[in-house]
Amino acid sequence: MIEIKNLKASVEDKEILKGLNLSIGKGEVHAIMGPNGSGKSTLSYALSGKEGYHLEGEVIFNKKNLLELNAEERAQQGVFLAFQYPIEIPGVFTNNFLRTSLNSIRKANGQKELNAVEFLKIVKEKSAELKIDPEMLARPLNVGFSGGEKKRNEILQMSLLEPSFVIMDETDSGLDIDALKIVSNGVNTLRSQDRSFLIITHYQRLLNYIKPDFVHVLSDGKIVKTGDWKLALELENDGYGKFVN
Amino acid sequence: MQDYNNIKVNFDHFIQSLKTTTDDLEFRKKSFNHFLQKGYPVTKDENWKYSPLTKDLKKFTKFDFVKNQSDTLPNEVKELYDHYSIVFVDGSLISSDINETGFSIKKNNSFLKSVKKEGDNPILNLNNAFAETGYLIEIEQGYSVSKPIVIYNYFSKNPHSSFFSFKNFILLNEESKALIFEKNIYLSDREYLITSNTEVFLGKNSELKKYNLNYNNKYSTIFNYIKANLDMLASFECFTFSHDINSCRDELIINLNGKDSFASINALQLQHSNFVHEIKLQINHNEEFTKSSQFVKSVLHENSTAVFQGKIFVDSKAQKTDGYQLSRALLLSDNVKFFSKPELEIYADDVKCSHGSSSGSIDNESIFYLRSRGIDEKSAKQLMINGFLAEVIDKISNKQFRDIFINRLGGI
Repeated sequence: MIEIKNLKASVEDKEILKGLNLSIGKGEVHAIMGPNGSGKSTLSYALSGKEGYHLEGEVIFNKKNLLELNAEERAQQGVFLAFQYPIEIPGVFTNNFLRTSLNSIRKANGQKELNAVEFLKIVKEKSAELKIDPEMLARPLNVGFSGGEKKRNEILQMSLLEPSFVIMDETDSGLDIDALKIVSNGVNTLRSQDRSFLIITHYQRLLNYIKPDFVHVLSDGKIVKTGDWKLALELENDGYGKFVN
Repeated sequence: MQDYNNIKVNFDHFIQSLKTTTDDLEFRKKSFNHFLQKGYPVTKDENWKYSPLTKDLKKFTKFDFVKNQSDTLPNEVKELYDHYSIVFVDGSLISSDINETGFSIKKNNSFLKSVKKEGDNPILNLNNAFAETGYLIEIEQGYSVSKPIVIYNYFSKNPHSSFFSFKNFILLNEESKALIFEKNIYLSDREYLITSNTEVFLGKNSELKKYNLNYNNKYSTIFNYIKANLDMLASFECFTFSHDINSCRDELIINLNGKDSFASINALQLQHSNFVHEIKLQINHNEEFTKSSQFVKSVLHENSTAVFQGKIFVDSKAQKTDGYQLSRALLLSDNVKFFSKPELEIYADDVKCSHGSSSGSIDNESIFYLRSRGIDEKSAKQLMINGFLAEVIDKISNKQFRDIFINRLGGI
């Protein structure tokens, strides 16, 4: 259902993605592993619509070329990027942000916007599942949140917005074991027939908790090897050396 | 060279018509002569260098004084919660309602009660010469006013005068408390000059919260001056919300005269068009263990200009002073201007003082984060701008008013 064809991305004449091909089926979980500088974060930004990249190729999703849509339109189509470093926004309260976000997406899809009471009911339920203290939602977005709280907040957003294509950019970075378990459980409960995942990570550790259907090795802007979850174990033991020139 | 001959004639007429004491007359004449010596402020004067008033005051070469008839406060500007009200329409005090013992609100006829010291502020001298309206609020010792006092300062579509001089006086005696909300509404499309001079005295361990709302002034030239003197343990919290205010200088001088007195001054200015707004603050730490905080945020759109001049002065005997000052501005077009002049002047050696000033555009990473959650670019920016300003509103200690100002911001 997601078809990435010959995706190239460059910044100021520096080519970072050099013709990447990948197709992700409905309900599948794909992991992309790769060394520093291989283009992992660029891939997540290119797919989610961050400005500042020169892009070529096609990313077909819901019969649309994502590259022709801006960031909010992609989100409205069901793309969700879980940030490696969720941004702190002082003065914007988490609750207000979540409701604005959910209603923007509902509105774009012709659904009725939720009033404060309806929203509160849903967010209460979802945050309890992720062991998120309601007090956290009354604080400005990500401001003063611990690393674990920020990532849980990302998963909460994912669970509220119910995207069909989730990109997770090094979600495991900065998490201790307990937080990693909570976040992984959150992701696992969101796995479904209708939702595809692209998990970008340095380490195999996260994949112990979220078992992928496929593992790809990204090196120098291209996918150089594809296998099942055992490939992640192999990488953990042998390193990236044999895939990198 | 500005010609003041017409204004001189105006002044002579004015004092002839005034029924007052000889002392008052003398004071007014003295003030007016002081004004004439310097004339309107000019940009050469460091204190007025960035002030919009230097340009706009020149338009006032004469003043008309005509009392308006039968104007009333429109219902839509009335606050909906339980409060005491003082209502000015086109500069005239038309009503005040109090039925609580422990405090009084009066028409400020006894202008002399204000400090008579001749200052070197030319506009204050002009105000002292012409002042003929204002309020006087006095809270008795140990008394806490049970509900907010709202001052409506309403200017109708057609005020007949072209010059309004207010002189106000707020006195909180020992251990008393009050919350005053001043709501300034400017509807006229005529050019007129408004000066207001408010003296605040806060007795030992008293507490004043003063919140101000100024919005939608397109044409008039405004000078708001507040001077507050704080005794031991007194606290003064001031918040000013200025939205689309043209040609205005809000000047505030705080004297922390008593040990452990505290002032928290917070302001936001949200400007469009080619409006110019200036905030000038000076906090004098005159005694030890005094504390102050200044927090000002500006959001500038289109061709607007904002000025922030903030000073912390620490006297040599004011050891253990704690002074804080922060100004931040969001510049949202290439044509806006922001002038910032943070100053510290410290003569004591055991103090904690900090100041910071920054200006810039909206952070792109934050905008991308919001857009990646389905929020369109315009709404994302609005969310960021409101969030930026909400941080100042968050400093308001009274929850009811915090909500009032947050709602107002949300409605813009």
